[in-house]
Amino acid sequence: MNFTFNEDQLMFRDSVRDFFSNEVTTESIRNRWDSDSGRDRALWTSMAELGLTGLLVPENCGGLGLGVVDFIMLAEECGRVALPEPLVDTVLLATPVLVAAGADAQLLQSIAAGETVCAVQSQADALVADADFADKLIVHKAGNLVLLDAESARFQRQDSVDPSRRLFSVEWADDEGQVLAEGDLSAELTASLYNLGALGTSAQLLGLAQRMLDLSVAYTSERQQFGKPIGSFQAVKHHLANVAIKTEFAKAPVYRAAYSVAEALSDVDLHVSQARLSAGEAAILAAKSGIQVHGAMGYTWEMDLHLFMKRAWALNNAWGTPGAHKARLADTILSADYTIGAGHTFASASDAA
Amino acid sequence: MKLSFDTADEQFRTEIAGWLANNLSGEFETIRFRGGPGDEHMFGEERKRWEQQMAQGGWTCVGWPEEYGGRGLSIEQQVIFHEEYARAGGPGRVGHIGEGLAGPTIIEFGTAEQKQKYLPGIRNGTELWCQGYSEPSAGSDLANVKTKAEYDQGRQAWCISGQKVWTSLAHESDWCFVIARTDPQSQRHHGLGFFLVNMHQPGVEVRPITQLTGTSEFNEVFFDQALAEDILGEPGEGWKIGMALLGFERGVSTLGQQMAFQNELDEIIALARRNGAAQEPDIRQRISEAHIGLRLMRYNAMRMLSGPADGSLDSAALVYKLHWASWHRSLGKLAMDVLGSEGELLMEPPYELSRLQSLFLFTRSDTIYGGTNQVQRNIIAERGLGMPKEPRG
Repeated sequence: MNFTFNEDQLMFRDSVRDFFSNEVTTESIRNRWDSDSGRDRALWTSMAELGLTGLLVPENCGGLGLGVVDFIMLAEECGRVALPEPLVDTVLLATPVLVAAGADAQLLQSIAAGETVCAVQSQADALVADADFADKLIVHKAGNLVLLDAESARFQRQDSVDPSRRLFSVEWADDEGQVLAEGDLSAELTASLYNLGALGTSAQLLGLAQRMLDLSVAYTSERQQFGKPIGSFQAVKHHLANVAIKTEFAKAPVYRAAYSVAEALSDVDLHVSQARLSAGEAAILAAKSGIQVHGAMGYTWEMDLHLFMKRAWALNNAWGTPGAHKARLADTILSADYTIGAGHTFASASDAA
Repeated sequence: MKLSFDTADEQFRTEIAGWLANNLSGEFETIRFRGGPGDEHMFGEERKRWEQQMAQGGWTCVGWPEEYGGRGLSIEQQVIFHEEYARAGGPGRVGHIGEGLAGPTIIEFGTAEQKQKYLPGIRNGTELWCQGYSEPSAGSDLANVKTKAEYDQGRQAWCISGQKVWTSLAHESDWCFVIARTDPQSQRHHGLGFFLVNMHQPGVEVRPITQLTGTSEFNEVFFDQALAEDILGEPGEGWKIGMALLGFERGVSTLGQQMAFQNELDEIIALARRNGAAQEPDIRQRISEAHIGLRLMRYNAMRMLSGPADGSLDSAALVYKLHWASWHRSLGKLAMDVLGSEGELLMEPPYELSRLQSLFLFTRSDTIYGGTNQVQRNIIAERGLGMPKEPRG
């Protein structure tokens, strides 16, 4: 048993963290709000050069041939900087589904090379994030999973309370788009996509929680009232300690869910929903406590805190609301054929190895 | 103990309800339910006209003594007034700082001359006020104010220099009441004065602050040798008067607030019924809790107001702010959770928020302004329970 990441994974995470802290500043995010596309294509190219876009693309298609567990901490880093570009969608959602559906090697190569950006439609949400920045969209129609050229589709933009998010309703003619999967395969891949989407969201929520906590610790160490930093007051400390606890306890479910997805374990639905709820609660608490300890400054447009709060509030309802994930958990645990008890809950047959 | 209103009070209710039905119509139809907290940037001009309409009907400053243009209403009648106002969807009052804060303070501490000078403008809805308390270094620690007041012998007036922040609607105001340091050697709450400053003078500059709603209800106000028209009380009494004013804030004006909260809760319940969220166990529970919390708020307020009527900061009043702020913040979250993933979608670019979205974002600040939840708890523990004070730096 080893619930840690290896040195390579940690080093890659560190280099991505450095890269993002230099390249995805809050200033650059604010600049995107006013631009037409709201996205940075040059950044996408840089991410491709780092091997990020092709992380899950098989090696024989020019990718790194790595897996979900290798990407999960990087998805967290995307959350930490509130990355506007759809890296998680392209890498964690689109790539595995395209591979499983037997998509063209050329397409996969193009993703790895940073030439093809993907956007993915969740059946849970009608709108598609980043559809107009994407080159290819994975969408649903009449029980089929469809791969669509962005050029063939028509988009209607829908803005978000998070000024960084760009959502679109998508329309296309029936003869446009290539059927990726139909019938049983489509159902299977759609279910898989839901879990990948929820997992990617969980990881980003974890990163967002951490970032808001870091901002709050920094602010309360600087801000002085009553002759000392407000972080020295116990009430303030305890708020942030509570966020730290919740965030820490959200890591294991998220990483565990990544493992379950990677190993295609039978309990994957349960683990993904648990991760989603844990990470969501951590981010929501980090936002709530974060703005509280920032005081009135936290309520301004000028302070960076709202960039992360608004992303957290938006992502907390993406790929299934907390209510939907709680219902899935409840349905699973309370179903007639689900066995619980120490002998079952903590060890499943697929884990035994 | 008597928890219902008697016949005379009910007749009064009919009277005010009738007046509102007749007057909150026509040109004022569009501003019903608008312009309240979080919505104060909307319909400024219309609400100024409404304020004057209210004044003409004799419905401003109803709690003030008749000698100052009020109606001298009893507590019961003031409760009824605020309830009917909120029930009818009366818009946020542009005169609320004058009527609820500056006015009662001037009545309490002003000279006859000062009362004559300032009270009519408030009562008639022709002069609007803003509050100059907080500064960048004096938020929770208000006693840390640095804005100076120096007496200028040549101009025979106090001159104010410094910066105030979070000043609601400063850009719409005619007057500002300012806490400033009269004794340069003094520290903290000593050596302060309470000044009345005309906003329309060269030495006063207002700069809007954008909130995370994308709108600007708050401002920075820079005073550069601005002339104070008056000082209330004596130099050195600024803290005493400034704190007494805050005591008025927890008074009768809170009653209408609960009715407005009821309007908001009703809107959320209606939405939950329409979109099916009302079937979810979690949502049902939270709606029940919201309902209970609101009833508790009302009963506590009525108990509080049945007690001796003054502006003192007793612990019942302090508990009230913490309770409504936390309740309202939860309500905002409930609204978003009822909306689900739709809750993030804007009505229109560039950043037009729906009422429930505004409610959610604005209520993030409820537990911060007017004394943070943390400060409230400290005061409850230290003053209410007599516990040892938290050491200062």
